[in-house]
Amino acid sequence: MSDTASFLGSVPLLAGIADGDLAELAALLRPRVLGAGDVIWREGERADAMHIVVDGNVAVSLSLPGDSETQVATVGPGEVLGEIALLDGGRRSGTARATEPTRVLLLGRSDFAALVSRRHPTAFALKRRFADVACQRLRTQLARLAASLGDGDGAGGEPLEHPRAELEPSGAPDSRYVRRLADFRAVEPLALWGFLTAGRYMRCAAGRTLIAEGEPATACYVTMNGAVERVIVRRGRRIRVGLAGPGRAFGHESLIDGAPSPVTETTRERALLLVVPRDAFEPLYHGETAGSHVFLDVILRDLMASLRQALRPQAHLASRRAWAADPPAPT
Amino acid sequence: MCRVLGYLGEPLSLTQVLFDSDSSLVRQTYNPRMMPTFLNLAGFGMAAWEPHSIEPEDPLTYRSTTLPAFDRNLRSLARKLAPTCLVAHVRGVTNDEDVLVGETNLHPFRFAGSRVVLAHNGHLRDFGRMRYDLLEYIGPELARRIEGTTDSEWIYALVLSRLTDPYGTPEADELADAAASTLRILRDVRARHGIDTSSPANLCLTTGRDLVATRFSFDYGWYPDEDALLETDLPYVSLWYTVAGDTRRSVLIASEPLTLDTTGWLEVPEYSVVTARTVAGGVDVQTLDLDV
Repeated sequence: MSDTASFLGSVPLLAGIADGDLAELAALLRPRVLGAGDVIWREGERADAMHIVVDGNVAVSLSLPGDSETQVATVGPGEVLGEIALLDGGRRSGTARATEPTRVLLLGRSDFAALVSRRHPTAFALKRRFADVACQRLRTQLARLAASLGDGDGAGGEPLEHPRAELEPSGAPDSRYVRRLADFRAVEPLALWGFLTAGRYMRCAAGRTLIAEGEPATACYVTMNGAVERVIVRRGRRIRVGLAGPGRAFGHESLIDGAPSPVTETTRERALLLVVPRDAFEPLYHGETAGSHVFLDVILRDLMASLRQALRPQAHLASRRAWAADPPAPT
Repeated sequence: MCRVLGYLGEPLSLTQVLFDSDSSLVRQTYNPRMMPTFLNLAGFGMAAWEPHSIEPEDPLTYRSTTLPAFDRNLRSLARKLAPTCLVAHVRGVTNDEDVLVGETNLHPFRFAGSRVVLAHNGHLRDFGRMRYDLLEYIGPELARRIEGTTDSEWIYALVLSRLTDPYGTPEADELADAAASTLRILRDVRARHGIDTSSPANLCLTTGRDLVATRFSFDYGWYPDEDALLETDLPYVSLWYTVAGDTRRSVLIASEPLTLDTTGWLEVPEYSVVTARTVAGGVDVQTLDLDV
């Protein structure tokens, strides 16, 4: 086994992956050596690779209006950063900079895409691990936002802003409409059908609580029509951390990691939802069918979008703090 | 579906934001980056406040259905102007025989004598069914001034009718309240007619001194069958802002960032209103939930 493959065996993200598969993965990785202060990528650049930190340390920061920035994460040995690049190939949501001499291993997006197209088991195992990592990062990010509202003891005892949802069974949406949703446009019809028949369709009025923060979720949802907002509320103050419109999933964090829901999910508009209960979620999320792959991609896309959306209020808060420290005088 | 730009602060190079930046407002007529299925070729309009001009409290207004990329008059004007407040707009419409492209339908709207101008990024589906029910909420002398055929000009008349003095100079709070009140009227009239499909209403209002912008959609996520605008309306209609300098000397609000590098731009949350007011040494920017 090569040194790289041995190191990969110690990376928590890759725990449980067979030695042969790790050796195959090691052959795809490219090493990079960085000095203290070196920028790995800048916010807004096209994302093309995931990085695994071998040793050293990397800080991730967000730019703010007015030529300032705020640090949002640090990543050390054995941890990964930039995994979003492998999944959606979007633009970098922050700037990554080595804070000391650092060595990293790169997995390029095209190499990962090749694994996926071969339906290599490592690709799907990695995708599920990415979901775990994204869940963990999202929870950390949301906890920071909650703290900004003066959260002392965490969620609990906070009265619901809206009454509990009463779901009314409904027929499925028109398939021509579903196929026009951006998230489903490129999906094979059979795989899409497998995914769309995994749960039941329900209607819900606007202003109803589907999942309360701190409670275990019993199902995950995909919005087909309408919009669901994700909020954190503390002592009557609230931050909206995301909005799930058509094609977007929500409520899956608890089903992935078994912890309570990190946010309250409330219908902002009346909504038509695909409801996937826990007993249907498990085989779909862990399965190897075409429908499972579509479902996994929907969940991952939503986690990535949620992570990006959750950075948004933090940037607003940091921007406001900078303002409060040095405001112009009123006329 | 249009693109809009609002600015408040230190004198601004108009050429820079209209033509020169790598995702400038004029480039967004033929290459909008956040609205890939739609172009904005139905005309350009702006209101610009120049502190050293005659009667500086009145804006210079310019509207033309000429494609702005080929409008030499606009380029010449832009080179000479450095406004401290600006609302500019490029109009996008569907290829529909009921749609009229003409000067009276170009934003921003400003009735003679009024200090308030308004530009709209969005559209009210089924507006024809509800249009005349709005008359009961519009002052008669303001209703008589409506010249064009757009939903946006009616929204403008509604906003003016919500102000204590439609010809006064309201501050940011009053402008924001008038915008929210207008959206509530539209919500109620839509409900009366059973109109329940997605209708974005990003409004940009200013007096030349304060600036207010909403990011809002009625019934987001619901569309008519076989809808030509579905792909355009599926993402929540966008709105971004940025400020210049550590001490916030100015604020720029736009449907999408004016630069390919979006670093330093913040996305305005959905269902929100941004207010910017002139203060000594800069502008004070606030983002608030829109309770509609």
